[in-house]
Amino acid sequence: MEHKILLVDDDRDLLEMLCSIFRRAGYTELVTASSGQEALQAWREQQPALIVLDVMMPGMDGFEVLREIRRTSHVPVLMLTARGEAEDRIEGLEIGADDYLPKPFLPKELLLRVQAILHRTYPEPNRTVVLAASTVDLERAEVWKNGERLPLTAKELQLFQKLYENAGRIVTTGILCEAICGEFWQGYESTLSTHIRHLREKIEENPSKPVSLVTAKGLGYRLNLKGAKS
Amino acid sequence: MNPVQRFFRRYIFSTIGILALFLVVNLLLVLTVLTAGYMSGTDNGLSVRSVSSHVTEQGGVWTADDTALALLQEHDAWAMLLDESGTVVWEQGLPEELPRSYTSAQVASFSRWYLQDYPVKVWSREDGALMVVGFAPDTLVKYYFSMEKPSLLMFLMGSIVVFVCNLLLMIFLMLRNARRVEKAMSPILQGIQDLSRGSYQSLDERGELAEINAGLNRAGDYLMRKDNTRAEWIRGVSHDIRTPLSMVLGYASELEDDDALPTEARQQAGMIRRQGERLKSLVDDLNLTTKLEYALKPIRREAVDLVEIGRQAVSEVLNSGLPERYEIAFSEAHPGRAARIEGDAALLRRMLDNLIRNSIVHNPQGCRISVTVSVEDGRCTCTVTDDGTGMGAARLEALNREADVPSTQGGEHGLGLKLVRQIVKAHGGTVRFRQATPQGLKVSIVFSTSHDE
Repeated sequence: MEHKILLVDDDRDLLEMLCSIFRRAGYTELVTASSGQEALQAWREQQPALIVLDVMMPGMDGFEVLREIRRTSHVPVLMLTARGEAEDRIEGLEIGADDYLPKPFLPKELLLRVQAILHRTYPEPNRTVVLAASTVDLERAEVWKNGERLPLTAKELQLFQKLYENAGRIVTTGILCEAICGEFWQGYESTLSTHIRHLREKIEENPSKPVSLVTAKGLGYRLNLKGAKS
Repeated sequence: MNPVQRFFRRYIFSTIGILALFLVVNLLLVLTVLTAGYMSGTDNGLSVRSVSSHVTEQGGVWTADDTALALLQEHDAWAMLLDESGTVVWEQGLPEELPRSYTSAQVASFSRWYLQDYPVKVWSREDGALMVVGFAPDTLVKYYFSMEKPSLLMFLMGSIVVFVCNLLLMIFLMLRNARRVEKAMSPILQGIQDLSRGSYQSLDERGELAEINAGLNRAGDYLMRKDNTRAEWIRGVSHDIRTPLSMVLGYASELEDDDALPTEARQQAGMIRRQGERLKSLVDDLNLTTKLEYALKPIRREAVDLVEIGRQAVSEVLNSGLPERYEIAFSEAHPGRAARIEGDAALLRRMLDNLIRNSIVHNPQGCRISVTVSVEDGRCTCTVTDDGTGMGAARLEALNREADVPSTQGGEHGLGLKLVRQIVKAHGGTVRFRQATPQGLKVSIVFSTSHDE
């Protein structure tokens, strides 16, 4: 993968393990730093696409490094910390971290989060999502089905993007309502059902028997990509 | 009304009761004395009238019968009879030094006061004569009382007013004293209650009860310090475990996914990874239970929908991959009705997750799990039921009476259910563990809904 990742941790063994995890996942351009000062220098010189930053380091800690970076840059940062307190997480996110992962973590979880941040920050041009009966172009907000072009409304696109970000996973009614209506979504469940019906009409071969956008009874919905196990 | 206020109200009422009893007893005593005085007469009992009735005139000579003489002798008294001109016409035991004739002024004087230090009683007979009975000096006291009628009424009314004023003053002083004692004691009693709940606030070390307050402050500081040391120690240990555990999990996962390794080695790496995950979960649980146990930080309270939290908890379990031998379903007892409560969404999700995982862990053969949320009469009820092996009656009873589950030491349920209880308690709810029908475990959690519902 062409994205350059900067890995920062004062524990050299852990740093080595992080390199191993990313290398195996296909990331070839890796830069490491074992202190806050080194991290700032590497960030200025190497211009990484994403930084994995440890919070607790002697001298300049991760929060200070992030503050310094945020003065001039929006480079995505995922914070790693041995402190699992909610307050620390909130502080990190308030300063401008893109995500926060407490130690101990599973390599898969770390990689998934990094991929999600990279997808959000550096969207691929001509992003298309291939489904069983159709293809969705997220850039143009349109669906191609049986050679026919069907435009998506703004709400349908928001809804589809939320489902796509969590493809293969159940997304609850509340989270979907929040994605299209904002924080105060109570009472919008029926509106959501309407949007889901319209979306199915556009992406499914047979909307009454959906295979791509399926209902998880009582919970919400799940988007199945073509070829993925449902 | 809190127990401290109840105690002082009871104290005031009992003091008023004692005061009322005191008044009633005193009134009864006064009445008794007055009645006894009335019954026993006002003086030594010799009636001048009865003496007089036994003195008669026969042919110009005044004589007394034996009864009169006996009465006088019995009371050590003397007697004389004055005619209308003031001359003594009959006498019995009359002291020598007393005159035998009196002017009307002398008669008026002794009839009210004394006759040369002799207390006397007089009786005006129908025949115009005056019977005088005298006693030895210092045997009878005579008082004269006179007052104008309006003044007497004013005197009586004044006495009543003074009595009522005294009574009211007494009650006022008593209430004021009780209030002062209550004011001084309330913080101490409140402090003791706070101490029992583990949330002690230092008391002001001034005033009469400063020493007690200082002692309580010392006890509070000691307990808080002890709790904080324990909590800090647990947090420190769990913090130091996190980085090494990340390495264990990381490399174990790498080895497990390494196709170049023999299958057996990959299986062993998988075992290390799973055990590492258990340790991770234990560290997280330990941190959370310490935080809740010692109330290190208050929980975040915001309006949350328990239905959505139930959906998210169940979805998370399904998304993380549930073996096919398990089935899990979520339902709302009243679809469309929001179940809003004040609480911490992450903690509530954790609570449901722990209950669902408890059912999974203790039913390795598989089971059907159902999570239901209902709203009724201002209460939200969340039920997690499985049709697995369930729990023994003794274990259910121990969980319901909130016996402290000895966590990791032989505790087959680990910290999971302890955390459930702590989270429910922190949200002011109740939790009940029961046998499901026909088999399995049923856990019901009840919370109050938000006020805006």
